[in-house]
Amino acid sequence: MIVFENVTKTFPSGTIALNHVSFEIKDNEFVFIVGPSGAGKTTLLKIIQREIVPTSGTVLVEGFDLTAKDFNQTVPLRRQIGVVFQDFKLLYDKNVFENVALALKILKLPFKKIKEEVRKALSFVGLSKKEAFFPIQLSMGEQQRVAIARAVVGERKIILADEPTGNLDLKSSWEIMRLFQKISHNKTIIIATHNLGIVNDFKKRVVSLKNGQMLKDSKKGEYLL
Amino acid sequence: MREVLISIKRTPFQSLASFLILFFVLFLVSLLFIALSFFHGLLSYVETRPQITVYFQTNTKESDIFKAREELINSGKVSSVRYISQKEAFRIYQEINKDNPLLLEMVSADVLPPSLEIYVKKPEYLAQIAEFFKKNPAVDEVQYQKNVVDRLIKLTSLLRKASTIVVSYLVLMSVFVLATIFYFKILQKKDEIEILQLLGANHYYIFQPFLKEAVFFGFFSSIVVFGSLLGIFFYFYPFINNSLQGITQLTLVLFSYEISLWPMNYLFLFIVFVFTTFFGILITAFSAFIAVNHYLKK
Repeated sequence: MIVFENVTKTFPSGTIALNHVSFEIKDNEFVFIVGPSGAGKTTLLKIIQREIVPTSGTVLVEGFDLTAKDFNQTVPLRRQIGVVFQDFKLLYDKNVFENVALALKILKLPFKKIKEEVRKALSFVGLSKKEAFFPIQLSMGEQQRVAIARAVVGERKIILADEPTGNLDLKSSWEIMRLFQKISHNKTIIIATHNLGIVNDFKKRVVSLKNGQMLKDSKKGEYLL
Repeated sequence: MREVLISIKRTPFQSLASFLILFFVLFLVSLLFIALSFFHGLLSYVETRPQITVYFQTNTKESDIFKAREELINSGKVSSVRYISQKEAFRIYQEINKDNPLLLEMVSADVLPPSLEIYVKKPEYLAQIAEFFKKNPAVDEVQYQKNVVDRLIKLTSLLRKASTIVVSYLVLMSVFVLATIFYFKILQKKDEIEILQLLGANHYYIFQPFLKEAVFFGFFSSIVVFGSLLGIFFYFYPFINNSLQGITQLTLVLFSYEISLWPMNYLFLFIVFVFTTFFGILITAFSAFIAVNHYLKK
């Protein structure tokens, strides 16, 4: 479960990225965070990963109080979260298998188990035959699928995606979104996007932000205009 | 190991710079370690020698020498006095020069003087006893070791102080240079580190590849340094052998264990290797730790 309670984030430059934002996301919920550039979408995701700390308010993620003064649980927190980025953030000197395995190697699992899990994840994203390929040899859509495979391995409970379709064509975007839908039955999915077409077609909960403020928290199936 | 070799291949100049600075530092530190060990060995050796050796004329009667010895013992100033007859002096001479038949042929027991080896109870008695024997007409020469011991103690102490300063400077310099080199290596892997952090890697996991590389550099440099030192040692062996002629054994007491330094001893060589390796790994690992820690704190 994720709880934002009156969260404000002000950067040292004075920019208010989030302004008294409150919401709650239940386990296994699928939520879109929408809004124009500068709305605060990325800041919100970064707060959930504890890449940045809010200026005020309370943030609870999977029982961790991220705003606690002496918080030192960043490592266990992040091991519950899988992340997918617009620019994929793959390592170009490692092949597909090694990129996905990275998320499991840090857990110090035995190699046999890593192999098994990585192959399962690659089969899930449809890249079983490309595990020895390097990212440069893959299309953009395929690279994003590798990033999704990396995000889902290791029993991560929350998947955060920041503009996952931003660099993809329409066909690839749909493929990626279908993958997110497939994994949503046992994971909390939070996707920051400004692709309203996809958001409307998916009929999921939508949190709208503008200038750091929460405009609307649309329930499942409500259309955005 | 594969990761370490890949990293070296990807950053050849930084790796070479790391190796060169480590080689330089470890070579000097090891050399100082060996020099200090030998000075300590030499000091122990001189300290075990008689503090005063009195050589009598070759025609002096044994009874006259015994009389002088008796007088000395009765003075209460000496802890022990050993009489070396001409025969015993010749036996010692034969032992020392057993490999040199020419020297053995040239000398007989008659030409070697009888002597007394004296160990005093207090250093201040040295001068008094030396003066006492110098007045005796049967005495040919009085050898007085105090100056040699004092000079050696001063030299060893000076070398120890100089070594401390030089080693501290070298360690500081190498840590800064190596930490900077490791920092460049970290910057080249910053994307990977960022991803690892987001995936939940702890600091030790991020530090691990750099630690492995540091251990490799420390170990590899130590082997090269040790090999170079052995090469230099064997090259100068005849010179060292010549300089230490007459000294049958030099020992060093390390943690209450007595280790033989001379003649060349495998245990001492092993200690030098372990010291060099430990020191090399410690410096590189510490430098890598500083660099990673500095990067992660940013």
